[in-house]
Formats: sequence, C-alpha cells, structure tokens
Amino acid sequence: MFLSKIWFILVALAAAIAVTFALIAPRPFERRLAALEGQRLDRAQYAAEQMFKVDAHKWIDHVGKLGRDAILAESLDAASRGSGEDRVIHRTIQDRFRTLIPDLASGGIDSIVAIDTKGRVVARVGDQEKEHGDFMTGAEIIADALRGYLSDDVWGVGGHLQRLAAAPVLSKNRDRIVGAVYVSAETGPALVERLKKNLDVDVALLLRGKVIASSRGPGDLDALPELIAQHTKEIETAKRTVPITMTVGKQDLLVVAAPFPGQAGEQQAYYALIGQHPANSGLRALFENAKSDDLKWGNFHWLPLAAGVFFAIVIGLGLQRREVETPVHRLRRELKKVATGDLQRIDDHNYGGHVGGLARDINAALERFTHAPTQRSDIAGKDLNAILGPSGGSTFDLPSADSAFAGGTPPPAFSPQSSFSPPPPPSASFSAPPLPSFSPPPAPSFAEPQPFSAASLGFGGGGSSSVAAAAEPSHVPLPGATKPSPWGSSAAVPSFDDEKTRQEAAPPDGDATRVVPYDPGEEEEAHFRHIFDDFIAKKRDCGESTVGLTRDKFLQKLRENKANLVAKHNCRTVRFSVYVKDGKAALKATPIRE
Amino acid sequence: MTKRNPLTRICSLLAVAVAVCTAPLSSAWAVTVRGTVKMPDASRSTRLYSGYWRLENGNVPVQTAGGAKAETVVVLENVKGAKSPSARTITITLGGLDARPRLVVAGPGSVIELKNTGNVRHDLSTPETPEVMHLETLKPGDTRRQKFDAIGTYVIRDSEYPHIMISVLILGTQYFSAVDDKGAFSIANVPDGPCNLKVWARGKWVTDQQIDTSSLGKEELTIKVASPRELLKAEQEAKASE
Repeated sequence: MFLSKIWFILVALAAAIAVTFALIAPRPFERRLAALEGQRLDRAQYAAEQMFKVDAHKWIDHVGKLGRDAILAESLDAASRGSGEDRVIHRTIQDRFRTLIPDLASGGIDSIVAIDTKGRVVARVGDQEKEHGDFMTGAEIIADALRGYLSDDVWGVGGHLQRLAAAPVLSKNRDRIVGAVYVSAETGPALVERLKKNLDVDVALLLRGKVIASSRGPGDLDALPELIAQHTKEIETAKRTVPITMTVGKQDLLVVAAPFPGQAGEQQAYYALIGQHPANSGLRALFENAKSDDLKWGNFHWLPLAAGVFFAIVIGLGLQRREVETPVHRLRRELKKVATGDLQRIDDHNYGGHVGGLARDINAALERFTHAPTQRSDIAGKDLNAILGPSGGSTFDLPSADSAFAGGTPPPAFSPQSSFSPPPPPSASFSAPPLPSFSPPPAPSFAEPQPFSAASLGFGGGGSSSVAAAAEPSHVPLPGATKPSPWGSSAAVPSFDDEKTRQEAAPPDGDATRVVPYDPGEEEEAHFRHIFDDFIAKKRDCGESTVGLTRDKFLQKLRENKANLVAKHNCRTVRFSVYVKDGKAALKATPIRE
Repeated sequence: MTKRNPLTRICSLLAVAVAVCTAPLSSAWAVTVRGTVKMPDASRSTRLYSGYWRLENGNVPVQTAGGAKAETVVVLENVKGAKSPSARTITITLGGLDARPRLVVAGPGSVIELKNTGNVRHDLSTPETPEVMHLETLKPGDTRRQKFDAIGTYVIRDSEYPHIMISVLILGTQYFSAVDDKGAFSIANVPDGPCNLKVWARGKWVTDQQIDTSSLGKEELTIKVASPRELLKAEQEAKASE
C-alpha cells in the first residue's frame, strides 16, 4: 500500500502542477500582449499627435493663403481704415471666401472669419455667417494674428471642441497688417471617425469631464473622465498617460489619453485612444477562448498525453496489484486452508502492511478462540469447526466427554430440544426451567447464557461430530440460586430460581465473554485469572472504578464462592463467567454436577 | 521797518536749523525701490495658451507688446508702517473676448464690477477660492458685482474662455507697482528696513525674495523670474543634494 499511496500522491501532485502550469502559463503572454497593445496605443497616440500637428499646419497654410489674397487684403484694409461701406465689404469678403473655398465641408471647415485690425469681425462664411461686427481681439489666436503670427489653437466652447488656425492679412504691398483671417473646424464625431479609421483604435474626445464624442457605444466610457482625472499630474508632465486599464462591463480596455493643446487644454480637453485588453488567463477565459481546433490532432500532443495517462494507470494498477490484490488473494487462499484444516494458522510473516496486520489479527483471533472459550465463543468455535473442519478437539480445551466438564457444559444459545424431562434441580432454591424444544436457531441469537450439558453438544468428541452431537436433545439441570456477589452489586452473582430470573440474569447478546471449565490445579487458577482479567476489563468497559480490586482478593473470593456453591449444591465444580448487567460488570456462577 | 521780537528771531533760526538738519535724515528713512523684472522666455509670449504652431508671417515684423508683462506687478510686503490701499469700486469690462483691465490691485472691502459688453456669455468664478466667487453666468449686457473683503490674491476665470484671467490683488500694503513693457518698476517712499519683494504675473506669485531697502541706495534691482522648468530643476537639485 505504501508504494500505491506514494504513486497516488505523485499523480495528484503532477495533476496539480499541470493545472497550475495551465493557468499560469498564459499570464506572461497576457502581460506581453498587454504591453504590446499598450505600445500600439502609444504609437497610435504619437501618430494622432502628428496628425493633429499636420492638420494644424494645413489649416495655417490655408489661412496663410487666404491672407495673401489681394481682394481680401483690399477689403480688410478698407474695413480697418473705415473707408467703404461695411455691408459691401462684408459681401465682398464672403463672396471671395466662397470663391476660394467652394465647399467648406469637403475641406473639413466649419467657418471662415475675416477680422479687421481692431479685432472686429467683418465677414463670416459657414457657421453664423449672417453675424458680423462683433469683436474678437481678446482671443489670443486673433491677437496673435494681428501681431503678425500664424498660429493654431483649440477651443472648448459651448460643449464643443473647435480647432482654429489664424493668419494675418497683409496689405497689397506686404508692408503692414490690415486684418486677420481664421478658420475653425469642429473637432467632434468626424474627427473620431477619422482617427479610428487611420489608427485602428477606438477614440474618445473629452471636454470638462465629459465624453463629447466616441467611437464606442454610449455609456461605455462613463468612467473614462474620472479615470483620466486621476492621471492629471502625469498628463501635465508627460503630456500623455501610460496605458491605463479600464473595465467596461466584462471587458478590459487599455486607454492612452493625451491633452489637446491650446486653451482647450485648460478645459480638461483630452483625446483618448482605446484598445482591447488581451483576454484574461483564468479558467473561464480559457474555456471561453478555446476553440475546437485547439483540440485537433495537429494542434495538441494527444499521443504523449495518452501515453502518460496510460503509463500512470498501468503503474498505479501494477502497484495496486502488487500491494493489495496479490496479498489479499494469498491470504484468502491461506484462510481457506485454515478453514479446511490444512493450516493451523496463517503465516503472517509473509505479509506486509495492512494485509500483514490483517493476517496477524486473524492469527490472534484464532489464538484467542482457541484458548479463551466463551459461551458465544463455543458456538463460534463450533462454527469454526464447521468451517475449518475437525480440529481435533474443542477450541476451548473443553474437557473430554468423560471429564468433569462433560454433561455439565452449558448449552449454547440454541439450547437443544429436550426429548425427555429434565431432572429435578439440585436444590429447591435452584429450580430449572423447562427447556424449549431444540431447533437450530440463527447464529446471532445464541447470547443467552444458560447452563447446559457439554455432552449434549458432543464437545467431548470434538471435531465435526461435535456439531452433530450438539443437535441432540439434552437435559440441562440448572443450578440453584447463588449467593450475592461478595464484591457488591457490580459483581452480584445472580440466582436462577426460575426461567424469568434466568433470562433476566442472562447477559445480552455479546455481553457474555467466556465460560471456562473448572479443572483442577493450574487450570482452575488459569480460569480464575481469566475471570479476573475479564472482570477488570468489563468494569473498565462499563466505566467502573477498579480501585482496591486486587487479584489475590478476587481469586480468594472466587475460591470461597466456589466452595460454598459446591457444598450447597453438591456439585462437582463451579464455572464462573463475567457479564454486564444494568451497565455494570457482574459475575455468574454455574454449578457443574458431573 | 518793523522791529521783530528777538525771541521770534531765535525761534525762526532754530526752525530753519532743524529743517536743514533733518532734511538729509528724512531722505535716509524713505527710499525708492527701482528695478527690472526679467520674465522667463516663455512668459514673454503674448499668449497664455499655445497651439501646435506659431509662425511669423515673414513679411511684416511681428509685434511683441502686451502679453504677460501687462499683467505683472511688484509688491513690497512686510514694510514697516505699510497700510492697505483704500477700498474702492473697480469696473472690469468684458468684451471682444477680453477683459479690461486684467489686473486689479486694491484694498480690502473693494468691489469689483464685472460688466459684459460683448455678445457672448461668460461663466465667471474664482476656481481656487470658490467660496469667494462661485460660478455664475454673465450674460451679454449684465453686470456682476463682487466684494473682496479679505487681504489675498484672487483669480477670476472664465470657464468658456480660459484666456480671460482677471487677477485681483487685495493688499495690505500701499507699496506696489506695475511693470512697464520693459519690465521696469519703481516704488517710491519705501521706509528703510527689510521687506519681501514679490512679483505677481499671470495669476500667481512668481518670485518672493527678501530685500533690505536701507542698503539699496540708488541701486536698481534685477528680479529674475525662474521658469517652471528652472524651478523644477532647482527642486530636483536640492533634493539630490539632500
């Protein structure tokens, strides 16, 4: 069993290690994939930034070209000087804008605005093109343009992001600034779509803690503003975030956010690039992501696995056979031999482990049944005789038929049916109840200890004939009442005045331990010692104290008791037995007449 | 010719003598603190927030006037005998996506009157001290008055147009001066003694140093304002040395 257990532990350990590997192995790859996705987002962010720069430069080029237009320059010069009619100038500039850029939408432009040197809007095309006359000189990009700079900016106005580019408008002679022109384009869903198309990542635009445009479904990115707000310092220094993990439902996303430049940057305007986080490496993810193709012959090492499992089973079964089945079969064969009488005992040295223990226990049991007969054990012995065949005598060293024990041996629980009247009891106080007619009872019902005739059981003959002899009817003279136990109530010796008393006094099934025949000399002493040992054991079993109960004193009492009973009942000897009565150990004495 | 009382003559002579003697003394008690504030290169820009590009047109020289320098003030604090400027009402006009003036220096109890003369609305507040001035929309044509009782610095911002930034300095000293286009400043009649010279620019104190006016004489101070990058570098060096 030892090797089998070791093998079982090894197999379990191997399985645990295999499962651990199966679950852990994807994690480095998952991290690597996450890092790669993060790098992809980093590159996408860099590309987006470059795209914004190129866009801004493109806008600046546009407005720079517009600023060099002669008609526009003349019109703005007139507006700045206050010469000419505003309405005419307004229409002239509008027409010029429409001529230069016929389709604003195709150029991605929302509006074009012309401003004179005072910062007053002279004309607009696109959004709010009917309005003019308002001042914008405070806007930094306009002020810059009027100073002579071409620049760009991003505004967050009215919940929208606007990208702007402005340029000064120079006079016809290129010697002075006569005004400025700027273009604006809303940076919303159109930009998101364009970024997604070019960068192959999801995109979201944020302004003042709100997602104003996104390529993902509504509500998906509700947590994004707060997530980015947690990285404000990082954004201030690095102008971007590292890839941040964000969970949307059951999905993990990776986000890289960067601020927009210009004054929108002051208004928490960010663009966020969103990538898919690689699949998780848990069991659930394993089952969700595994495909049937993964289990095909070409994709999985089925042969080594099958071979490994086969060898594990073979080794396990081999060890099982070697350590369990073979010894058990051998023990069984030996037991059969013991039963048939070919063997007296099992050679337990040939067995190891639990089977060896079992063999030794069987030997001990055989030994015990042989040397410590009880009323029940008598039957057991007889049963053993029946099973094992004639053993050449009683397993309890019962006396031969002509011995003092013959005829006085108490009957087994299945008292043989008496075909004749029982003899009168030895004394008036010891009335023998009529014995029931004999019928072989079922084995478990033989617990009731009753005086019986050993001869009727044929024990004296020994061997298998004793079983047959046991079936013969016999008369069992019952002893009279005995004295109370000298050891108090716990050791009371019951009297068998009548059947009822006898039945009450009889120990329950299994409680009677042994009935040892009286034999002169050492055998009687051995019997008394057995009784003492049993009595002590029973008392301990019943939880009684054995303090003050010495062997010598006990034996002395037994001898006295025996002498009294022999004298009183005129019997040859007395047999004692120990049983449990009312949860306490008690002694019973049975007079033996013959 | 009337004859004057000799006693009167003596008193007059004494008065003249005292005046002659105390004249140089009084000039030693009060000095004029002069100097120049040198802003970092980035602050010389006329823009508070920049986009990706800022290119010169290549034909006409660009104008560099205005910008942060117009919003810079030098303040002397902890001057002996300094008093707060008197409380007053100052009107700031918001129009053309701009605020005029962008810097106000006043005493406690002053009232700032914000008048929207433009055609766009302005969402104004003091974000760093929201309890002083909460966010409120100022529609075109409307006026909002806000009293500033406590000494301190307040920055009124427009959440729609962040470039509109109005600095309100409620001071406990009358010794302050705005800088000109070249960064020069002059604060007259400063009593001798140690004091703190602070420079306010673009919505924050950019420098704070202790000077002793008694040892200045006619010396002109040069106040160099470190850029945020220089400050960060200095901090890192200080940490490294520790």
